[in-house]
Amino acid sequence: MMTRRDMLQRTSLGFGSVALTSMLHGENPLAARRSHFRPRAKRVIFLFMKGGPAHMDTFEYKPLLQRDHGKPLPFAKPKVTFAATGNLLASPWKFKKYGQCGHQVSELFPNVARHVDDICFLHGVHGTNPAHGGALLKLHTGADNFVRPSMGAWVSYGLGTENANLPAFVTICPTLAHGGVNNWGSAFLPAHYAGTPIGNASIKAKDAKVHHIKNPKWTPGQQRAQLDFLKQLNHDHLGGVPNPILESRINSFELAFRMQTAMPEIQDIRGETGATRKLYGLDNAVTEDFGRQCLMARRFAERGVRFVQVSHSDSKVQWDQHGNLRKGHTEKASEVDKPISGLLHDLKARGLLDDTLVVWSGEFGRTPTVQGSGMDGRDHNPWGFTMWMAGGGVKGGFSFGATDDYGFYAERDKMHIHDVHATILHLLGIDHEQLTYRYSGRDFRLTDVFGNVAKEILT
Amino acid sequence: MKMTARMLVFLLVATALSAADKIDLAKGQKHWAFQPVKKPALPTVKNKAWVKTPIDQFILARLEKAGLQPAPAAAPRDLQRRIHYALRGLPPVPNSKIVDLKSEIKIQMATPQYGERWARHWLDVVRYADSNGLDENAAHANAWRYRDYVVTSFNADKPFDQFVIEQIAGDLLPTKGEAARREQRIATGFLSLGPKVLAEPDKMKMEMDIIDEQIDTLGKALLGLTLGCARCHDHKFDPIPTADYYALAGIFKSTKTMDSLKTIAKWHEHSFATPAHKKLKEKHEALIATQKKVVNAFTAKANQQLLVELKLEKLPTNPEGKYSKTNQVELAKLNSTLKRLEADVYVLPSAMGVEDGNATNLPIFVRGNHERPGEIQPRHFPRALSDGKPISDKVSGRLELAQWIANRNNPLTARVMVNRVWRWHFGRGLVTTPDNFGKLGVKPSHPELLDWLAAWFVENGWSVKKLNALILNSATFQMSSMPNAAALEIDPTNVLMSRAPLRRMEAEPLRDSLLQISGQLDLKVGGTIWTFENYKLVFNHTSEDATTYNSNRRAIYLPVIRNHVYDLFELFDFPDPGTVNGNRADTTIAPQSLYLMNSPLVHRTCATMAKQLLAEKKLNNTERVEWLYVKVYNRKPTANESKRAVAFVNEFCQERQASWQALCQALVSSNEFLYLK
Repeated sequence: MMTRRDMLQRTSLGFGSVALTSMLHGENPLAARRSHFRPRAKRVIFLFMKGGPAHMDTFEYKPLLQRDHGKPLPFAKPKVTFAATGNLLASPWKFKKYGQCGHQVSELFPNVARHVDDICFLHGVHGTNPAHGGALLKLHTGADNFVRPSMGAWVSYGLGTENANLPAFVTICPTLAHGGVNNWGSAFLPAHYAGTPIGNASIKAKDAKVHHIKNPKWTPGQQRAQLDFLKQLNHDHLGGVPNPILESRINSFELAFRMQTAMPEIQDIRGETGATRKLYGLDNAVTEDFGRQCLMARRFAERGVRFVQVSHSDSKVQWDQHGNLRKGHTEKASEVDKPISGLLHDLKARGLLDDTLVVWSGEFGRTPTVQGSGMDGRDHNPWGFTMWMAGGGVKGGFSFGATDDYGFYAERDKMHIHDVHATILHLLGIDHEQLTYRYSGRDFRLTDVFGNVAKEILT
Repeated sequence: MKMTARMLVFLLVATALSAADKIDLAKGQKHWAFQPVKKPALPTVKNKAWVKTPIDQFILARLEKAGLQPAPAAAPRDLQRRIHYALRGLPPVPNSKIVDLKSEIKIQMATPQYGERWARHWLDVVRYADSNGLDENAAHANAWRYRDYVVTSFNADKPFDQFVIEQIAGDLLPTKGEAARREQRIATGFLSLGPKVLAEPDKMKMEMDIIDEQIDTLGKALLGLTLGCARCHDHKFDPIPTADYYALAGIFKSTKTMDSLKTIAKWHEHSFATPAHKKLKEKHEALIATQKKVVNAFTAKANQQLLVELKLEKLPTNPEGKYSKTNQVELAKLNSTLKRLEADVYVLPSAMGVEDGNATNLPIFVRGNHERPGEIQPRHFPRALSDGKPISDKVSGRLELAQWIANRNNPLTARVMVNRVWRWHFGRGLVTTPDNFGKLGVKPSHPELLDWLAAWFVENGWSVKKLNALILNSATFQMSSMPNAAALEIDPTNVLMSRAPLRRMEAEPLRDSLLQISGQLDLKVGGTIWTFENYKLVFNHTSEDATTYNSNRRAIYLPVIRNHVYDLFELFDFPDPGTVNGNRADTTIAPQSLYLMNSPLVHRTCATMAKQLLAEKKLNNTERVEWLYVKVYNRKPTANESKRAVAFVNEFCQERQASWQALCQALVSSNEFLYLK
């Protein structure tokens, strides 16, 4: 009999064939792998707010900004900005202290606010690119001028999936603009590490599906008969000579057949109770769509998918209020506040929050200075903004870092996007410097040559 | 200038850094790939009868040294399939056989489909795409002219050195007539096709990023060098100091790639508009203007009528709604004509490409940061590979660069290309990192063969067709893919080439074959099937996909949309079209099976075949199975296979056509169809 080691030696495709070989042995090529050290989180749910929510209007209260409304910014703006802005614009929303930690949250997020004691706020995050496309790519792949594997692809490369019938990385209703597929692609990593998109941002969550997951013509019984016939053809073709490449192809049809059942089962939320649906806001037209995305995220997480991304992005650039800030941010927040709160509550109730890391972020924040003559807009701000995490090994009721008095630049305990990536990997038990992939003669990593783990936020 | 303490510290640090980073050029130059190509003598072999070409002598010598014998010759049917896919990317005609191999190879290479197959390989290398990708996915609506140029060049067997020169500096070559001038300028699309951060607010950064992408592509594609690595620091492994990077960057800074850097930035295009074109455009615009006048005149008249009829002093809002029925119908007619004229814009022909700008030298940007300029670098070629003499201030240096790369004495260019061709035939290069011949690249498995091929290629006028014929006529290429026990033991990964590789069809041959066997493939050559406004975003803030892939033309003509590649391509290892890739992956993943099981393309193809099959009224079921086997596998079924297939059709379902469709789908999903033995 051929041993696993023999098989490895007999394949000629290098790394990819390790996956093939596992498949041949009836395993998933994405079989769960050991982390570098004890993980604090086993999986990630990334709630992406496309367009850039303003931190000073949501989670980082800035008293001096309120006081100095209408005055000029007392220090220089960056040399290169996306658009021109004027004087300081106070937040139109009131802030209130919540929880034991007393963190201040604006009236835009009354429901999420109830969870502040489970949330770790990162107020000193900063990126590099002030345009949507570049910032999205930076956030999702660590690079804005080259095509690089996405964060989720690195995680599935590093850890695999815990469920043999599912991909390790799914992205629910992602946007195709501003980097599109590259934001969940595998670039030079083997293709099975790429995110599996479920619908896209132009499709309602209830209609979102994985490509080609449903057969348009045959009944399951007919398709089974057809695949059995195909198996006979393939076995004849093998002619009794073991061949890992051909045999893994045979097995891939079996995995595909199982996926056909597994995927729709997860998306079918009919079995959820009325209370759960209400928790996520499925009973309300405003929150229904994002609520369904969040509920699906929980169902994927529950079944062992490593990295689930949820995008708040329909056919517009959701949070991008260069003007109409009051109306826009109110609308956007009302769509996500309840569902996110529901997700946190549900994860906690099910004991999943302990080893699930929830990350909330836009591609950047917004300027404290006003854009436009209507005194009702803010420009992109990658120089300082807020991201938050909850669960999976981060301190709850904790704030780390801050922007300056007005919210323009990250100032204290700064975390660059690379640091955020290093920290997320760390929480998953991965050393970001060790998770490398050799491509075109060079070892690549998610954090390039950068990245420091924010040890202060770990439990 | 007054120097602040901070600047002083910075200068000290910078100096210390550059001293520590100093590269030992002389040492670096010793790397194998930087040595001149020397044509080695052919090695002696024992089994002389096996040898058909000099290639075989190199391969056999190594096998014999390892105590191995090459695999037996491939079965004629397997070899025929392999040759058809290698040269045309299409299956052989059903029921055909190869009579004379040598002339068959020649015939295949003389078909237009040869150029399409080989152009697609090259398009992988030059990261060809019909949209920009990255942040703002603007349409490259004229990129297809470059694609056509590549197809034509391979079909004409343009000498590879000339092909290289045209792509870097075609616009600077002496012209031999208008058509040639046009072709040569289209060729420079090579430099312009890269993904660009079109909304980068820092314009200097945008420019330097574009230049970096050009250097990176040029280096990997033509020299197998990762020159881009030297942007922020001296190359960590190869003898490329940062100074040499900025000396090259100066050449591209002296070149005009962009027309405007204002968000959303626009790349430059060569205009090919003749006075006749311009006249046609003017004529079309005049037609629109006239039609507008007609509409306005009609509205004025109708409004007047309205005032009179309804005895009004002032027109109501939305007066059209109150027109008489006839007037409403007439106005709608006039407006629809206007709309049609406006939609049918007359586009002046142009193509992506570069031309010379002002010759300038760039400073080194410390740590790649353009806000930290260091010493000015005169433009020159990498010193590890050239004399490093500065280029004249009167020219950009682009033509000189092209001639330096395409020179027979450049140690890399021919080696890199013959290795690419080898890779495309065998699925693995003699150097397994075809885009990296530097220190971190992998050393050649057969260094003498690589050098012999490089020298032979140059001696034979850099002819890719001759090189293809040489390889395909070799006993090495014609071996069976079946390994024997000794080969599995001693050469498990087939580095020594003890057998032919087993390869899955790539995305395009798979798709083209499906269309071909179902009689749907349209073999028209060249042009574009994708009509999209140039520079327009293929995805703006909406995520709706306006691109369709339903054409029956060959796959090479389907649009390549960065950030959202056609799903069939994406699934079957089409390379990322944003980066140089001479080494496509060959993965086996479950979503590929989902595609074969459930996609509209596969279902449509099989439904078409089932229909054709049942239209053959005179055939009985056994004969139908035979018809299908011949179409899909180019062979007849055995008695057993035939019986089994008939039984499957009888049992599958009540509906005959559906049953045959199901059988057909099983055949095209099978390994015998998907793999080349």
